[in-house]
Amino acid sequence: MEVGFLGLGIMGKAMSMNLLRHGFKVTVWNRTLSKCDELVEHGASIGETPAAVIKKCKYTIAMLSDPPAALSVVFDKNGVLDQIGNGKGYVDMSTVDADTSLKISEAIKAKGGSFLEAPVSGSKKPAEDGQLVILAAGDKALYDEILPAFDVLGKKSFHLGEVGNGAKMKLVVNMIMGSMMNAFSEGLTLAGRSGLDPSTLLDVLDLGAMANPMFKMKGPSMLKNNYSPAFPLKHQQKDMRLALALGDENAVPMPVAAAANEAFKKARSMGLGDLDFSAVHETLKKPDH
Amino acid sequence: MRIKCLMNCCFRLPTNSMALPATRSSFLWGIPFTLNFNNNNNKRFYSHSQSRSYISNSNSSSAPRVGFLGIGIMGSPMAQNLLKAGVDLTVWNRTKSKCEPLISLGAKYMSSPEEVAASCDLTFAMLADPHSAVDVACGNHGAANGMAPGKGYVDVSTVDVDTSKLISQHIKATGALFLEAPVSGSKKPAEDGQLIFLTAGDRNLYETVAPLLDIMGKSKFYLGDVGNGAAMKLVVNMIMGSMMASFSEGLLLSQKVGLDPKVLVEVVSQGAISAPMYSMKGPSMIQSVYPTAFPLKHQQKDLRLALGLAESVSQATPIAAAANELYKVAKSHGLSDEDFSAVIEALKSKFQNS
Repeated sequence: MEVGFLGLGIMGKAMSMNLLRHGFKVTVWNRTLSKCDELVEHGASIGETPAAVIKKCKYTIAMLSDPPAALSVVFDKNGVLDQIGNGKGYVDMSTVDADTSLKISEAIKAKGGSFLEAPVSGSKKPAEDGQLVILAAGDKALYDEILPAFDVLGKKSFHLGEVGNGAKMKLVVNMIMGSMMNAFSEGLTLAGRSGLDPSTLLDVLDLGAMANPMFKMKGPSMLKNNYSPAFPLKHQQKDMRLALALGDENAVPMPVAAAANEAFKKARSMGLGDLDFSAVHETLKKPDH
Repeated sequence: MRIKCLMNCCFRLPTNSMALPATRSSFLWGIPFTLNFNNNNNKRFYSHSQSRSYISNSNSSSAPRVGFLGIGIMGSPMAQNLLKAGVDLTVWNRTKSKCEPLISLGAKYMSSPEEVAASCDLTFAMLADPHSAVDVACGNHGAANGMAPGKGYVDVSTVDVDTSKLISQHIKATGALFLEAPVSGSKKPAEDGQLIFLTAGDRNLYETVAPLLDIMGKSKFYLGDVGNGAAMKLVVNMIMGSMMASFSEGLLLSQKVGLDPKVLVEVVSQGAISAPMYSMKGPSMIQSVYPTAFPLKHQQKDLRLALGLAESVSQATPIAAAANELYKVAKSHGLSDEDFSAVIEALKSKFQNS
């Protein structure tokens, strides 16, 4: 099967590599073209622009970092809209707000193309291992057609109904995740400040009803101040902000998420935006640390 | 004379080092029942080679008489597990009727903590909050009045550090040993003998009661000086209270934006934030039912105490503080005795008078 792939960042690179390794023909594009080189070494072709990729491929997947990037790839000169049309499908796996997704969907469909939003749950390692959880919504026929690619990229795919539902589900999940990371960080810090061994706290948590892969993976690296990015903090904060906006639109109280968002903002102001989102742990440290 | 624990770091003694058989045995370790204070602290009280050679027998001088104060949601199944394992058990509860099921299983009953402590070698206490724990240990006809050298008091209640130290002082003033041992785990783990003990205090007493902890639990930690167990428990429950509050926000948000919350629970269970707590509580929360495994009032108490601990070390805990507010709101709606997952109700709009 042949697919186009727009966006070769932390996620896009791992995902397109995975597709290549599983025998897919992949045509890639990235704003910084040099990022395509490694993919080319593994058998990918290059598209000079998003339009060029769309022209070549029946199906194109996009993985951009935020709403502005996702919109730009579609609406800018030499963007997706230049070449999208009947018989072509566009699958946007970026994490964006529902309005952005709707906007892209309408534009694609107006040109005769079919559209599927499909944000993912999972970061760098699940992307490398093909263990993402895919939260798709939109064109069901396109969903069925692209499933072979989803099955390579992920361990489970959902079709959640109309465009917007995938975006919303992703934001809700990441909202919970951002709050949990803050709760975890508060606990680790308090353990240390109270004279306990924080790694014992990790052991205790791992034995009970609160045990989860995120604590298990991130706990040890947080204790070593190691924040190499699997999921950049600036993107987590973007997701919290979008989730809060969703809550705002629907008058849903979210005091814990609001507090978590403040912590991520503080972390960004400390220059930690490009580190892993677990770097929010640094916001609780005393200045001399 | 207290043997000072020289280790700074925390101990974890895996249950299989105590080698209790995997099926719940009705036999007990032969515990040499004199708590010998003068022992060299490197020497254990019984060696592991003794592992299979003991019987709970009519020769009561080798099997301890165990007391259990506080027969509530947790105390009842914990005491039951001890009874079923053949422990010589005496119980007390403020409301005697709660002890009936245990009495019918063979437990003895005494009408005050003092009498229980006086008639037992080891006394456990499982009370709801700091106030009750202090009252039972140090109040009128309290356990301290019945303690003496050679005896041990194990408080498995969840309290703040200062309360635990206070109880410890009162107990040890009698010459007895003290161990704080709050648990992680609620009703079902208590029933299933799957609790996690977070102990601190007299190491000698920890060694002695280890087999009893192994009956009631799946893991135990020895964390050093009195206060460390209490602090660890509060930290754990602070994280838990915040996690439940944020999960509640997610469930409610998903419903309000037209998603199926059951699908959210499924999506969460597939990913990095999948926790047993979410899969267990999610479905009932979606139905707006909150069968009590861990009363909301106790979760809020734990958050309050954790915030106090954080304050004592000048640490900001904005997420826990926000979560605590939600539990307070839930309490004001009359949900104190519901499961702590009822905190989701605090986020919902209520138009009726409450």
